[in-house]
Amino acid sequence: MTSEITAQVTEIQSVSGSDAHAAANADLSTSVAVLRTLMDTLKRQVLGRDDVIELVIIALISDGHILLEDFPGSGKTTLAKALGEAIVNGSSTDEFIVPFRRIQFTPDLLPSDVTGVPVFDSNSNAFHFRHGPLFAHVVLADEINRTSPKVQSAMLEAMGEKQVTVDNVTYTLDDLFFVIATQNPLDLVGTYPLPTPQLDRFLFKITMDHIDRKSELDVLETYKERRDFGSSLVTVTRDQVLKARQQIDSYVHISPAVKTALVDISRNIREDDRVLQGNSTRSMVLLLPALQVSAALRGRDYVSAEDIQLLISRVLGHRIELAPGVSDMEKVLADNMRAPMDQLARSTLTG
Amino acid sequence: MTIRTEDSALHFLPTSFRAMIIAGSYWVVSLSLTVLSGSLASLIGCLTACYLVDLRLHRQPLASLRTSTLLAACLLFWLTGLLVARLIVGSDWISNLVSPIAAFNSSEFLKWFVISASITVSLRCLAHRTSFGAVVEILFVAALFVMTLAAHRNGMIHRPFFIGDFALVRGIDPSVILMIFGCAAVLSLSALLMMENNQRRLPYHFVVLGLLCFSLFFYVRLFGLPTPRLTDDLGLTGQEQVGNGSQRENPFRDGENSANDREAPVAVVVFRDDYEPLNGAFYFRESAYSQFNGSMLDFTTREDMDRDLIEHFTNSRADAEQLPLSVDMRTRVRTTIGMLVPHRSPFGLVSPIAYENRSNPNNLRFKRTYDSYSLAPEYDFEFLLGRETGSEDWSQDVREQYLKLPDDARYQELAENLITNLRPEFANDPFAKAWAIKTYLDENGIYSLKNEHAYEPDPAGSFLFGDLTGYCMHFSFAATYLFRSIGIPARVGVGYSVPASNKAGGSSLLIQAVHGHAWPEIYFREIGWVIVDPAPQQTLVDMTTDPQNDLQQLLGDMLRNDASFEEFLSSQQSSFIKLRTLLTALYIIVSAILILAYLIKFYRLWAPYPGNSGQQHRFAYRAVLDRLSAIGLHRHYGESREQFALRASQIAPTIKAMTDSHLACSLGVPTSNRSNRQQWHLFQSTITREISSNTTIWKKMLAWINPFSWIMTR
Repeated sequence: MTSEITAQVTEIQSVSGSDAHAAANADLSTSVAVLRTLMDTLKRQVLGRDDVIELVIIALISDGHILLEDFPGSGKTTLAKALGEAIVNGSSTDEFIVPFRRIQFTPDLLPSDVTGVPVFDSNSNAFHFRHGPLFAHVVLADEINRTSPKVQSAMLEAMGEKQVTVDNVTYTLDDLFFVIATQNPLDLVGTYPLPTPQLDRFLFKITMDHIDRKSELDVLETYKERRDFGSSLVTVTRDQVLKARQQIDSYVHISPAVKTALVDISRNIREDDRVLQGNSTRSMVLLLPALQVSAALRGRDYVSAEDIQLLISRVLGHRIELAPGVSDMEKVLADNMRAPMDQLARSTLTG
Repeated sequence: MTIRTEDSALHFLPTSFRAMIIAGSYWVVSLSLTVLSGSLASLIGCLTACYLVDLRLHRQPLASLRTSTLLAACLLFWLTGLLVARLIVGSDWISNLVSPIAAFNSSEFLKWFVISASITVSLRCLAHRTSFGAVVEILFVAALFVMTLAAHRNGMIHRPFFIGDFALVRGIDPSVILMIFGCAAVLSLSALLMMENNQRRLPYHFVVLGLLCFSLFFYVRLFGLPTPRLTDDLGLTGQEQVGNGSQRENPFRDGENSANDREAPVAVVVFRDDYEPLNGAFYFRESAYSQFNGSMLDFTTREDMDRDLIEHFTNSRADAEQLPLSVDMRTRVRTTIGMLVPHRSPFGLVSPIAYENRSNPNNLRFKRTYDSYSLAPEYDFEFLLGRETGSEDWSQDVREQYLKLPDDARYQELAENLITNLRPEFANDPFAKAWAIKTYLDENGIYSLKNEHAYEPDPAGSFLFGDLTGYCMHFSFAATYLFRSIGIPARVGVGYSVPASNKAGGSSLLIQAVHGHAWPEIYFREIGWVIVDPAPQQTLVDMTTDPQNDLQQLLGDMLRNDASFEEFLSSQQSSFIKLRTLLTALYIIVSAILILAYLIKFYRLWAPYPGNSGQQHRFAYRAVLDRLSAIGLHRHYGESREQFALRASQIAPTIKAMTDSHLACSLGVPTSNRSNRQQWHLFQSTITREISSNTTIWKKMLAWINPFSWIMTR
């Protein structure tokens, strides 16, 4: 019944749709296809984490970075590695850029261990910059809170500016530069917790739970096969990803009503007594591309309330400081979202 | 901890609501049974009990008690309370300590507190613990309301007096107040019913119920209340069914009527002149049985008999053809009579000489109103001694008609026997003879509404020569036959006899059904018809009634319709004139709101068809949302369109696709022209079909009736 109706409606729409619109739709669906391929590849290697994979893809395409809060051995590295390997270099000319790097942060790490360091070459009698692990598509920054603030700040500069500066020389990182940082939520002895302004550099903070029973069983059943996947996995090129990023940005429409809702939510949060410090304007700016990707993944060419509901707690959760004694972030967010979201829904009828 | 307080706050509202309903029913029923302190106590007791049970029953120590223990405790509480209340009134030192009034008040307070608290605790406990408890509770509330309003059956809207008087004095139709009571009862009951299950539907159902109540009001305002059945068959009065005049029932069978309606008001009389009867009762004559038809006395068919009677109502003035004589021993009395039930003939204070129709001050109350002019007797019985009987104007034939009696020698035998002992100087005096007969009946007759004579060929004979047990018909017929047997022209007068004490010093007199009466009359020359009414000393029935002085005065004032009464009314109304205009304004406003709501509702449902294509997605989607809200499915506050569509898709699966299209139009790229009339049409018709196939009939009906369904559309 429903499918019949949908078919009829599609038929009617196809008759009336304009050519420009149809072309935009075609471009968009190519981009979405790329994302889906990427997602499928990740899903085959990381089981039971579909929601996290989706968020990772969204962050990747919307040019953000993510912070995973998780227990050891829950598949962070597998995820990051799989992502790095799923994107092949393609036509990139820069030979220093590799698909994937992992940095284990320790208290004695130095900034140059991350960025790279000029090394004196006795043959050419000159300093040569030896590229650090940041020169990669995907970088896994493991236990980022265990290192000193100095290293953290070097890392965060790279994330913010997509460049590193060593000895007053600035080296540009890859366009696709994407950081997955992790921290252990419990084992906090001897750590340097990231302050809120630094957390602001991460688009999402994702708290992962243990995967469900069936997925866990699947992991045990199939670990051999997955180990042997190797080259058999479908990959996408770096250029495809960059193009998708660009096309989603230009073809997915954000209605003024959506922007109004976002601003209203921010303002409500800032005025809430339970909130010590509200979210920044930048967080809203960063949120927009993420919303677009989310919409595109759901086959829409417009941002809707669904996208906001999916992403807002991931985006704002680590950017808001709650007043002492208040602990339920989800409730604070839900309370402040209700009125603007209702207004957004109403606006579709009132025009 | 915070969750706990929120939880109890959630329970607090329905508990208060339920407590108010039950307390309201206590208040209604206690108003007519006790003084103000008692009513207050019942309110307090009920509220306390409700909160106690609802908020504490689930906690220790109440939770561990068994239901039977709780009920027994309630009973004990009740009995102890009643005992203490009796002690307070009964013991001297308490009433000496405080005033007797205070003792009475506090006793009433305690009594009603105990009653309401124990009953409520029992009911609430049962409702919480058992499955039938809720039903018992609802039945209880319903019974209280019904008990209060039960007095209004048969259209007696002046009862209970605390409602009727309140309304009538202020010029408000009591039916309005009664309807308010009825509506309140209906609403309370339905609220109670619904609270037992699902509170989420409450407001929705209330709108529909309120609408029904309003439509009832509207109907009554437009068409009036159904007219109650006319109570013609009050008995004892010789009244007949309208249009059944020629075939009269045997008057002796009237006595079989049940005495349930004894106090029913029949008429009210306003005295325009001062008059006190000498024999302690006001007699109102309606007609007379004077012609013997072979088996018993009947209304006369002859033109030349009973010429003093006025048989029919006229629109103007009707005068008796024959006036009573000895005018100097009579006083002229003008009375105004308002009949509350229809009568065949007008009646008036003995002896009526003329009736004059009068404009009816209240068509709802009075069937007929007229002035009666009477020449009321002021002579005592000595005046009657030594009088001849019969009129000189009578022809021989007429005289013989007034002397006819059943062919039974025992009448004359008894009568002769009774008058033999008269003193010689009165031996030939008709009045003395008559008095001797009356005295015999007084001393030997037994008044009873039950009798064995009704089906005898001659009931009066059966009575007189039998057990002498009967009611006024038997006494009057027997007396009349006895008078006639010794040559005294007599007849049976029919009408009402009201004890003079009922007037209670006022000027109005209420005639009740119980006052219907028949009595023997004798015609004395130069005087006219004189009542010689036997009054049996032994009686088997208690004929005393509540004189209902309030009603008497109220109806009298209404009937009198004087300027002073108008003033009194308007002074009472001045504070209530606002209420009436307010009520009218309320009707208009509510009707206007309803009409407007329906207009909006149907505009929103049908607007998309002629609507312009740019806004098509809005109108069509809104219409579909309206249809969903009408069956109780609407978007919650803060819920997104997609979430709602997911929820609604259980009833109408197509709503998901439509929502997507709608959002694409309103949130998507503005330039792309995706709106298409055909498409929205298709969506709409499909969803309408889905809704109607997936909802029950009563929901569909409600969806149509409810004028405010669209308000919930967000």
